[in-house]
Amino acid sequence: MSTARETTTRSTTLVWLLLAGLLAVACGPASATAIAAQGLEPGPDGWRGIPLERERSMPQATLEDVDGNAVALGDAFAGTPTLLFFGYTSCPDICPVHLAAIASAMDTAGVSYDDIDVVFVSVDPDRDTPERIGEYVANFSSRMIGLHGDLEVVEDALAQLDLPGPVVEGPDPRGEGDLIGHPAQVIGFDADGEALRTWPFGARRSDWIADLPRITEEWS
Amino acid sequence: MNVAWWCSSTPGQIWTWRYTPFLGVWVVSAALIGGYLFAHRRAGRAVDPKLLRRWVFGVLALFIVSEWPIGQLGVGYFATIGIARYVVYTFIAAPLLLAGLPDWLVLRWFPEGTRRRQALGAATSWPIALLVFNAVLFGTHLPITIDTLKVTQLGSFGVDVLHLGAALIWWWPAMQKVPADNHIEEPLRAFYLFASSVLMFVPAAFLTFSPLPLYGLYELAPPLWLGFDPTSDQQAAGVVMNVGGGLVLWGIIGVLFLRWASQREAEDTQARRTRDAATLARIRALEAVEGDDDAPEATAQRAVRERP
Repeated sequence: MSTARETTTRSTTLVWLLLAGLLAVACGPASATAIAAQGLEPGPDGWRGIPLERERSMPQATLEDVDGNAVALGDAFAGTPTLLFFGYTSCPDICPVHLAAIASAMDTAGVSYDDIDVVFVSVDPDRDTPERIGEYVANFSSRMIGLHGDLEVVEDALAQLDLPGPVVEGPDPRGEGDLIGHPAQVIGFDADGEALRTWPFGARRSDWIADLPRITEEWS
Repeated sequence: MNVAWWCSSTPGQIWTWRYTPFLGVWVVSAALIGGYLFAHRRAGRAVDPKLLRRWVFGVLALFIVSEWPIGQLGVGYFATIGIARYVVYTFIAAPLLLAGLPDWLVLRWFPEGTRRRQALGAATSWPIALLVFNAVLFGTHLPITIDTLKVTQLGSFGVDVLHLGAALIWWWPAMQKVPADNHIEEPLRAFYLFASSVLMFVPAAFLTFSPLPLYGLYELAPPLWLGFDPTSDQQAAGVVMNVGGGLVLWGIIGVLFLRWASQREAEDTQARRTRDAATLARIRALEAVEGDDDAPEATAQRAVRERP
C-alpha cells in the first residue's frame, strides 16, 4: 500500500514530467521553416553575397516588360550590373521581403537604378498580368523592372541558371489561390552578364548596403 | 487548429487570422488567479474584492498582450506591438499585480528571518532594483537577444518572464510594499523613477533614430500588407517606448511629487497651527498671571488689542 508521501512524490514527478514535456515542445522553433534572423555572415572577402561555384551567364531568353515590349535578357541588361529575381506577385513572404530590402538599401546606400538594374521575373503567368506586375514592383520602386513570359520560357531561363522551375505548393493559408515554390535567391550578374554571386532569403538591408556599392564599383 | 505553448517568431511564417491558442498563456493566467484564491483559502483569509480586482486586471493585461493575436503579432511581425507588449507588462500588469497582493500574503511567502526574505530584501532595495530593471531592459532589447531568443517558444517565454520579473522588482520599492525596510520616499522615489525614465530613452532613441531595422525577425517577417516598411515600424516602436515608458513615468512622477508637496504643505500648516496654539496658550497663561497682579492694566491692554 502506498503512503501519502509516496503519492505526493509521484504527483510531483508527474508534474515535472508534464512541465518537461511542455518545455520540450516550447524549445523548438514554431515551424520547420524557421531560419536565422541575423542576416548573412560576411565572407573572407567582405562580401555578404555568396560566390557561385560554377560559371553561369545571363539566360538567353526573351520576355516582355509591363508595356508589352520584348526584352532579351542577354542584350537588355548588358553593360550594367544586374540583380535578377524570380518570384510572383501573390507571394506572401520571400518576394516582398527581398524586393523591399533591395529597394530600401538602394535608397539608403545612395545607389542609383542607372548603375544597377533590378529585375523581377514572374513565375506565375496565370495570375501575374502586366498591369499587376507593374503595380507590384511600383510598391518597392518605380525604377524596378518587371518582366513576364510564357511558363516554358521562364522555366528555360531558370534551367539555364541551374535553378528549379516553379511548383504549386498548395493553397495559400490567406485564401489567395495557390502558393508557388520558386528559387528564393537573388542572382547578381556583372556588366558582362556573368553570374557572380547570390543572396539567399535572409539577406537584410545591412547586407545589401554592404554589397551594393561594391557591385557598382567592381562589376561595372 | 494550431496550438502552441507561447508566442514566438518564425521568419517566413505567413500571418493568417486563424486563431492559434497559446496554451502557456492560459496555464499561467489560470495559475496566477487560481494560486491567488488558493493562497487565501489556505490561510483562512477572506478575499478583499478591491485587491482581487487589481490582481485580476493585472492578469488580464498579461493575458491580452500574450495571447493570440497581439502576442503573435508583437513577437513575430511588428516591433511596435512588441514594444507595446513590453510597456503593458512593465507599466500596467506589474503594478496592478503588486497593488493586488495583500501584505499578509507577502509576509507569509517571505517569513521573517528566512533566506527567501533576505533575497527579497536584497532584490528590492532600490539600487539593486534599478540595476536589475535596466539590465533586463537593455539586455532583452539587444538585436542578438531578440533575434536569438524570440524565435523559440521557450526563449520568448523566458524573455516575457524576465520582463515581468524585473518590472515587479522595480516597482516593489516605489510602491512601498512590505517589508518596510526598502520603502523609498520622496524625493528619492521621484529620482528613482526619473532615472529609469531617462535610461529608457536610450534604447528608445536607438529604435527611433536607427536608419536600418535593428531586428532581423521583424525585417524578414512576411509583411501583412505590401509597402510595409520595417524601419518605420521600428521608429514607431521607439515612440511607443518613449511615450508609454518615459512620459507615463513622468506623469507618475508628477502626481507623486505634487502629492508629496501638498502633504508637506499640510504638515507645515499643521505644525504652524500647533506652534501658534502653543504661543497663544503661553500668552493667555501670562495674561492670567498678570491679571492677578494688575487686573485694571491688563484689561486696558486687552481692550487696545481687541479694538477694530
